[in-house]
Amino acid sequence: MKGKKLKIGIYELTGCAGDALMILNCEKELPAIFQAVDIQSFLMAKSDNIDDELDVALVEGSVTTEKEVEELKDIRKRSKIVVALGLCATVGGIQARFQDPQKWQENFRQVYGETKMELPAVVSKPIDAYIKVDFYLPGCPISKEQFLNFFTRVVKGAPPESYPQPVCVSCKYKENDCLLKNGLFCLGPLTADGCGAVCPSHNLPCVGCWGPVQGGNWTSEFYLLQDKGFSREFIKKKMANFAGTKLSEFWKQFDRRD
Amino acid sequence: MKKITIDHLPRVEGNGGITAIIDGQAVSEVKFYINEGPRLIERLVIGRTPEEDVSLTPRICAICTVSHKLAAVRAMENALNVQVPHQTNLLRELMHMGEMIESHSLHVYYLALPDYLGFPNAIAMASKHEFEVKIALEMKNFGNHIMKVINGRFVHGENTVIGGFGKWPSREELLWIKSRAIQFMPFVYKTVNLFCTLNYPDIPEAETQYACCLPPHEKYGFWGDEILVSNGDRIFREDYRQLTNEFVVPHSYARHSRYQDKPYSVGALARVNNLGERLEGEAGRMFRKYFNDHWKKNPLYNNAAQALEILYCFERLPQLVDELLEIDNTPEIVSYQTQEGQGTGLVEAPRGLLIHHYRVEQGLVKGADIITPTAQNAEDIERYGMIAAQTLLDRGEEEKIRDRLDIIVRAYDPCISCSVHLAEVKTVEETAWENQLAEIKRQASPLFIGIGNITQGDDGIGPTLITKLKELGIKAVCSSELDTQNIKSLVNSDQPFIFVDALDAGKKPGAISLIPLLAVLYSSSLSHRLAPFIQNEFSYSQLKKSYLLGIQPRSITKQQHLSPEVSQALQRLIDQLEN
Ligand code: SF4
Ligand code: SF4
Repeated sequence: MKGKKLKIGIYELTGCAGDALMILNCEKELPAIFQAVDIQSFLMAKSDNIDDELDVALVEGSVTTEKEVEELKDIRKRSKIVVALGLCATVGGIQARFQDPQKWQENFRQVYGETKMELPAVVSKPIDAYIKVDFYLPGCPISKEQFLNFFTRVVKGAPPESYPQPVCVSCKYKENDCLLKNGLFCLGPLTADGCGAVCPSHNLPCVGCWGPVQGGNWTSEFYLLQDKGFSREFIKKKMANFAGTKLSEFWKQFDRRD
Repeated sequence: MKKITIDHLPRVEGNGGITAIIDGQAVSEVKFYINEGPRLIERLVIGRTPEEDVSLTPRICAICTVSHKLAAVRAMENALNVQVPHQTNLLRELMHMGEMIESHSLHVYYLALPDYLGFPNAIAMASKHEFEVKIALEMKNFGNHIMKVINGRFVHGENTVIGGFGKWPSREELLWIKSRAIQFMPFVYKTVNLFCTLNYPDIPEAETQYACCLPPHEKYGFWGDEILVSNGDRIFREDYRQLTNEFVVPHSYARHSRYQDKPYSVGALARVNNLGERLEGEAGRMFRKYFNDHWKKNPLYNNAAQALEILYCFERLPQLVDELLEIDNTPEIVSYQTQEGQGTGLVEAPRGLLIHHYRVEQGLVKGADIITPTAQNAEDIERYGMIAAQTLLDRGEEEKIRDRLDIIVRAYDPCISCSVHLAEVKTVEETAWENQLAEIKRQASPLFIGIGNITQGDDGIGPTLITKLKELGIKAVCSSELDTQNIKSLVNSDQPFIFVDALDAGKKPGAISLIPLLAVLYSSSLSHRLAPFIQNEFSYSQLKKSYLLGIQPRSITKQQHLSPEVSQALQRLIDQLEN
């Protein structure tokens, strides 16, 4: 980082703006961040935004309109590195549940009727459905610690750390009583760790909001939950809530075999 | 025609915009739109359990996540007949204060103040106002801290569940919140003084209706089982549809609302207007010191109201902690067996009234209806945008329109994720009146009303066109033919109308403009000739779909015929209207 500051852009597609907000939630580090890099565009924080060549683009939100598809492609063209920030960008978010176009249409009509919208909508997808993504930082929303860690490394030119372990690992470090063992439906074994097992530490089961952990053993977890007396339907629904598009392959194979 | 577009509103939470189109001396359109696509959250929860619902729906918005959680949980508890003990409500209130402090301090200091001090962002503002920026960040951080302690995380915490909390915070944590709150007091007073004495521009100013939750026990607060409207109407929570009446507009994925056919506003300013008298202590004293008539009609005062609420929260925090510390046994989560029911939860999010409604059958969500504050404010944002743009245009201050629209939208503190980024101002040579006219005709058959005098040259365009339209069998009358009787039936008919008149818009002779009647109403120069007509009690929606079709005259002198340019315009109009 000799002399020249990295040019960074932070973009929001469709989501709750939680990941951008989490960056603003780094209250203590914010002035240092604005000093360390050149923030070219960050709609939530400033009005003098420029859309030019970038070193790193952080993209939050899923793609849900044709216009966003274009915006996203433009961001890719202008940026050396593109990072998917948060659950919506990494897996499509909770809104990526209706992948079947017909089902999506039906639900769309339930909300908006027959009105012809000025910005045509598309089925919600993660950003890697349209462009190449260099790094993923999941979470709904991302955690401050993971973000600062990630950001420092990128600014220093080091590859970011990956988080291949499930929530259960942090949960064990915290010496919590295992909720699954007590018969509660917890998605900890299948969910990427990033929160430090917040929910189990509050006596509440993990609902899976970091999205599927890489290499999670979905099949065995499925049977384990079935053995505990949860119905197939119930398990499927719970697993689907925060998995976005990432489990569709698994379900196809699973349903074929079963 | 000029178009002012703020396509990506900076410094609002989310992705939306506002556009204004300027056609000569009139603002022909103001639209507040939400660029974000549809998320269909109300559909995602169908077939899910109530527990899944209350963890999915707060994902609508990061900055109102706690309010969404509370609205969802309260709705489910009403639907499933779960009564939580007083202590649980106290802790929920404390958590809610965290969100108010976080959101309001972010908004007033980071998103709004740079506008008034002339900086592009808060970080740039820090070069001159380091102290304010730093302490405000700490205040925001404190709000976040409260949410984390009680809800588990800054954003989308899961510790709040139907029936109570997964884990109760420790006495030490509560005591820390109290002592920290007291430390902030000097800065909180500073904040109130700063934002209550800022030089807010007096454009736009116009009366509106305000709606908010009516808190119980004659207190100020952020939830209740009734809605209070500024005209005195009270609406029980389960009848919330009387207030909201949502409808879909093509330019936005957030549905709009009107109350009794008129736009209304929600948010801090609505609460202070409706409930300010209930403020006690220092907040009450400050309210009485600063509140005046501008607060009742100028949306920019929302920032002042937010500052007042920050004070209210900081005074309430120590009281809440004291009450919570008196509890010896922390309550268990209230369990329930009910599998069926319907219920509504009303909560004040920082940016206004938030409503969740659910129908549960066989333990699963069968119906969901969520009404967000920004969606409710959308109509008033457009109306105030129109008033501001037209007034500035009348005063010859067109260059100010763009920034003013920006500030208005920002004052409403929209969290665009309410489904929803910025302002665009466009000037057009000529409105795309052909398409618009065709669209108006497609939706309803309007009544054409001609104004003018055929003995005054081009001023005769109105009556002349009306005569032709009558020949074509199109519904048309001259204003001279209207009497109280047929105006009355028009008022009651909900039918749109289009005035046809010579209009000096400083354009080329024969130029045609189609201007929304609302713009005409808000203009000091355009409205004169229509005044006797539109004084009548037309409904807002009727006025909103009505227009002025103006034709630029060449000369208005005593002669019986139209100039060649205006005659050509006449022919174009007839061709267009014939088919
Ligand atoms: S991932 Fe979660 S926090 Fe991020 S935008 Fe989506 S819903 Fe919000
Ligand atoms: S749901 Fe799971 S991943 Fe999300 S915060 Fe809770 S424990 Fe962490």
